[in-house]
Amino acid sequence: MYEFKPVVILLVEDDPGDQKLVKQSFREEHIANELKIVDCMEGAMEYLERSRLGHQECPMPDLILLDLNMPGMGGKELLKAIKADTEFNVIPVVILTTSDSEEDVIESFRLQAAGYVRKPVTLEGFQKAIADLTDYWFIVCKHIEHNKDLKSDCNLCIVD
Amino acid sequence: MEGGYTDQTQPAIILLVEDDPGDQKLVKYALQFQKHQSSLKIVGTGEEALDYLRRSEDGDESAPLPDIILLDLNMPGMGGKKFLQSIKADEQLCTIPVVVVSTSGAEQDITESYKLHAAGYVQKASSLDKLRRIIQKLTQYWFATSTLIKR
Repeated sequence: MYEFKPVVILLVEDDPGDQKLVKQSFREEHIANELKIVDCMEGAMEYLERSRLGHQECPMPDLILLDLNMPGMGGKELLKAIKADTEFNVIPVVILTTSDSEEDVIESFRLQAAGYVRKPVTLEGFQKAIADLTDYWFIVCKHIEHNKDLKSDCNLCIVD
Repeated sequence: MEGGYTDQTQPAIILLVEDDPGDQKLVKYALQFQKHQSSLKIVGTGEEALDYLRRSEDGDESAPLPDIILLDLNMPGMGGKKFLQSIKADEQLCTIPVVVVSTSGAEQDITESYKLHAAGYVQKASSLDKLRRIIQKLTQYWFATSTLIKR
């Protein structure tokens, strides 16, 4: 039984293995969620522009999970662009990365990331991280209701 | 320990900005039940919080720089939003995640807080039991799942 409308998570990640791990982890979650995946910054910008225009297949994300190291435009540039946009700046962006560099941590928080999660190495670790992250952002925290008209009858509408 | 998780060597510093003595006490109490060790510093207004942070930056040992700030919105004086705005405009302090903890469930407060770069918006729980669960998930996220800046 799902009383809530699904939350929309946008994953920006180029590694197919990590995409799969995140997907699997969200499938285990007990809150209704819709995971959208794009594999590059340009794809993320395109997705968000479609959201802005109200395209139904691109609902406004409630949370963005962002890998830092990707080909093309880097993750930090996307974070900067999102936080500079008057419409998108309300979306929490959580960094999900393999980077251990303290400089990346500081720079991400300076650019107003809403968390910095180092990618766990095991599936179990991934599931735990996604579960804790989901608990915090969607059970503990209130979020802005962007997608009031999304149907709540699908518990797992995972779409690539 | 699992790769993605932070090894906590010293207690995290939490700065609670809250004018209500009852709520101060509840947060303090709820934190005692957590497995993640933390040291709670409490100030009653936004002005006092800014003063605290100024002392942190000056290296005052009695005011260690917080790893995270829990911020009430409705307080006498400058209020939570103004405080949030001013620390997010500060080049050094802007890296500290600020979680709003408020009785308000008004959409305008939620939207405005996120616009001002709040790193979460928590509605105050009425019972201690519920608050404990909230604090448990909050500390799990900020002190274990997410990495904090090394201070």
